[in-house]
Formats: sequence, structure tokens, C-alpha cells
Amino acid sequence: MEQLRQTVLNKAHREAGATMVDFGGFDMPVQYPGGILAEHLLCRSRCGIFDVSHMGRWEIGGPQQKEFLNHVLTCRADDLPLGRARYGILCDSEGFVIDDVYLYRFREDRYFLVVNAGNREKDRAHLTREAAAFDVTLTDRSEELASIAVQGPKSREILEELLGGPFGLAKKNDCCLTQLNGKTLGIARTGYTGEPIGFELFCESGEAESLWNGLVALGAGPVGLGARDTLRTEAGYPLYGHEMGDCRLGGQIPACAVPAARFGVSLAPEKGGFIGREALTRQKEALAAPAGSPEAQAVPYRVREIVLTGRGVLRPGCPVLCPETGEVLGYVTSGTVAPYWIFDESGIPGPESGRRSLGMALLKESVLPGSRLTVDIRGRLTEARAAASLLITNCEPYALPVLP
Amino acid sequence: MIFPEELRYSRDDEWVKMLDETTALVGITDYAQHQLSDVVYVTLPEAGDEVTADEAFGDVESVKAVSDVLSPVTGTVAEVNEALLDAPELLNEDPYGAWIMKVENITGFAELLDAEAYKSLIGEE
Repeated sequence: MEQLRQTVLNKAHREAGATMVDFGGFDMPVQYPGGILAEHLLCRSRCGIFDVSHMGRWEIGGPQQKEFLNHVLTCRADDLPLGRARYGILCDSEGFVIDDVYLYRFREDRYFLVVNAGNREKDRAHLTREAAAFDVTLTDRSEELASIAVQGPKSREILEELLGGPFGLAKKNDCCLTQLNGKTLGIARTGYTGEPIGFELFCESGEAESLWNGLVALGAGPVGLGARDTLRTEAGYPLYGHEMGDCRLGGQIPACAVPAARFGVSLAPEKGGFIGREALTRQKEALAAPAGSPEAQAVPYRVREIVLTGRGVLRPGCPVLCPETGEVLGYVTSGTVAPYWIFDESGIPGPESGRRSLGMALLKESVLPGSRLTVDIRGRLTEARAAASLLITNCEPYALPVLP
Repeated sequence: MIFPEELRYSRDDEWVKMLDETTALVGITDYAQHQLSDVVYVTLPEAGDEVTADEAFGDVESVKAVSDVLSPVTGTVAEVNEALLDAPELLNEDPYGAWIMKVENITGFAELLDAEAYKSLIGEE
């Protein structure tokens, strides 16, 4: 068996007593001794830090960098201003997802692209092949750089203390370069938790451990992949391999089946021809078509958020049925239990918390948010509901659970 | 981790507390709850169900996964601990107080270990 790869923070995770697992070929912390529920709640009320150094990091430079990125990504690269970041998809010509990515413009002369850990080699092959037709340079910076996500209501305070002052980034997707201990540090107001205030840091690998320990000393708490998953699921964020990629009903899930594709796919004329444009045009037309219409069938199943109202725990693969007819409507793509804070009258979270089983499901396009559903959990039928949103993510400083 | 001397332990990490010769309480060990981490849901059998040694009688779910719970005895379920339905975390907080089921008319057992043998099985000395 191939040996697991390690991030530069491996020792820090082990010293903190983390339970380690194989994730995308990396030896990663799934949880620390406090447990997944406590880590989730810590991120929602204070500040959680996440080692995301296992993800792939690319720099794209050269005279045709904009044309190349417009060609391989579904989002626009040409109009991305300096100091901004954007969600996008690496798509194939059929409109299926190779990976979902984040594009950053930290510098005038090059772009920065972050890809999923599990797709690093597949992305490398795709990007390298497509780059052959362009005058561009692709530089894999995954080893030289490390990434730490700093997420939660206290994250700005903690980072300001660490950096010795304010660093801007007033809006989501803002990004900048700064200095820490004489080294360049990239900061972006991005994240995968749904926190209204959250950042992702990009540092030289040799600086990662002292940065991590500095954040812990200022009151941030380490969060493992277990709570990273419950946090992103509660926020309704897709994960490749669940909401994108292979479909359990056969074939692959169309890119536009995922709500995030609304932000990540641009059909602007300035973008010109790009990989998947024709297929994505048909998919977008399907999204605009009335529910149940023939035109809507180009994207026959859509990813919806779902919350269990009966007893049990949603798990990936559980069939979802119509409560009246028993017709199979689709299946659960992500399912778990997530805790939430109960807020007091003054809007402060805690000390009481609750928990609920929630997730996402790939459901027939005619199933709209609010619909009552039945979920088959290992042969036991229980009640659920499709929801437009389970977490309010744009109201600082706290992410607020949407409860029935 | 704690493994009370008066209990018997299955190789699948359940404990058995004999109340008389044919009646016992059954739960999961401190080691099992530690491995599971946060227990968030428990599926219980019903009173009157027949359970069989080494076969699943319910399951416990952590945030990440579902695990079967295998019965350490063959017999009839007399009672289940319904407090676990609303407070599954009791299995983490008090694994030997939070019994899962009471079995009566016991006619057979899985292989059961004493505390010392169980500790060496799980590598805890």
C-alpha cells in the first residue's frame, strides 16, 4: 500500500491528540479529543482553525493566463479584479464536473487556483493537457505553500492580534497579501463553513506550524475533517464525490444540479468558447424552465438541502420517497448530524445547544424547497423536509440556524 | 478508561451485568464509546424481541458512522433504556450506567471475558 502523505502540520495534529484518517491519500485529523460536535459549536461561537494544506495549489502565469483560465473554468477569469476571489468549476465538454475550485487574484501578474485534495492528480492531467494550446506557465505550489482556514465570529479579532492590526477584506471573496515575520502571507475572506466571518491563509510551508500555534495561543481551536464536513453540510456547500461527480442513479451529476453553480458558471459573451459551454447553456436553460416542464429535464435531478423531521440520522445513499405515492424522488448525497447553538434574547449563542440531522439530496427537479419527504433509513421510513436554507450565512457575526 | 471487575465483556465491546442466573443488563464498554466518539442516535430493540448471541440487536450512530451492536446473550428483551432515545450522549458520559437493554430467560452466551482479559484484548494494560 502506498504510504500516506503528510501535511507540514502533521506533528501539530498528533501532539494535539487528533484521531488521524486517510483522506484523499493524506494522513489528516478527523477530530481532536473534544469531538466533532464540540468543534462544530466552537467554530460557530468563537473561532475554529483547519489544516487545509492537503488541497492542491497552482499558480497560473504567462501572457495568455486569462484566456487559458476562461477556457478551463466555468467562471470568468478575465474580469476578476486584483484582490478578489471567485468560485468556479473545472468542467468537461459534457457539462460534468472534474473538480470545483477557487480562483484568487493576489497579484497583478498571475492567478492562484486551489483544488480538492482527492482530485489533485486528475486536475494536474487536465490542466496540463489543456495548457498546451496556450502560452501559459502552470506552477504547482502545493508543497511550498500551506493553507490554514480561520473561521468563526472571533476570527478577525484573532488575526488582527496576530498580524498587529487591521488587514481590510471588508467583503466576502476579498483577498490580499501581507507580511508576517518578514514572510509573505496571503489572506482571503473565503471558507467552507458558512461563517459570515472567515478567512483562509496561505503561507510558506516552513511558517505553517508557528502560524498554527500562534492562532491556538490566541484562542482559536483546531477543527478536524469531521466537523469540517458537518459545518459545510449545514451551510449547504457541495463536496466533490457527493453532490458532484458520479451519480448513484447512473452517469454523472450535471454541474448545474448544484446550487453553487449559479455563482460558478458564467455564459457572458466576453468569456468566449470554453470547455462545456454548450452543455452548460442547455443546463442553465433547464434551470430557468418551469418545474416539471420538458425543458427542465436537461437537469432532471437537483441538489436540495434536506432536514430530518422524524427520528434517526440521514446518511449518504438513503433513498428519498414521495410521502403520498411512495415514488422514489432521489437519494441523500450528504447526511449527518449537526449541532446548533440556541441563541438567547440578546443574540448571544449558548450555553444551550441542540442538534438535528440534515444534509443534501439529489431530487427530481419538480421537488421544491418546503416539500415534505420520506427517507428510507436502512429500511425504516422517516419524515424529512426539503429546505431552501438551513443556515443564515450573511449576517455578522454569527451564522444562524434556520429552525422549524 | 474504566472496566469494572464485576462485569463480563464480549469481544465486540459490549458489557453484561448478571442480575440473576438468567437475567442481565447489556451495554457498550468505555472503550466502545471512546472509539465511537459522540453518540448521536441509538436504535433500540423492543420489549418481547428475541435476541441471539453474536447477532445485531440495534445500532448506535456517531456523527460519522453507524455501528451495529451485537448481543452478548441469547434471550428475550424484558426492557429497553428509553432515556437513550432522547439522550444518546449518556452512552458517552456513563457507559456502565447507561444500559441499553435488559434481557431475561437467557439461554446462551457469546464468549465473555473478565475485565483483565478484555483489557488485554483491546491493548489496554
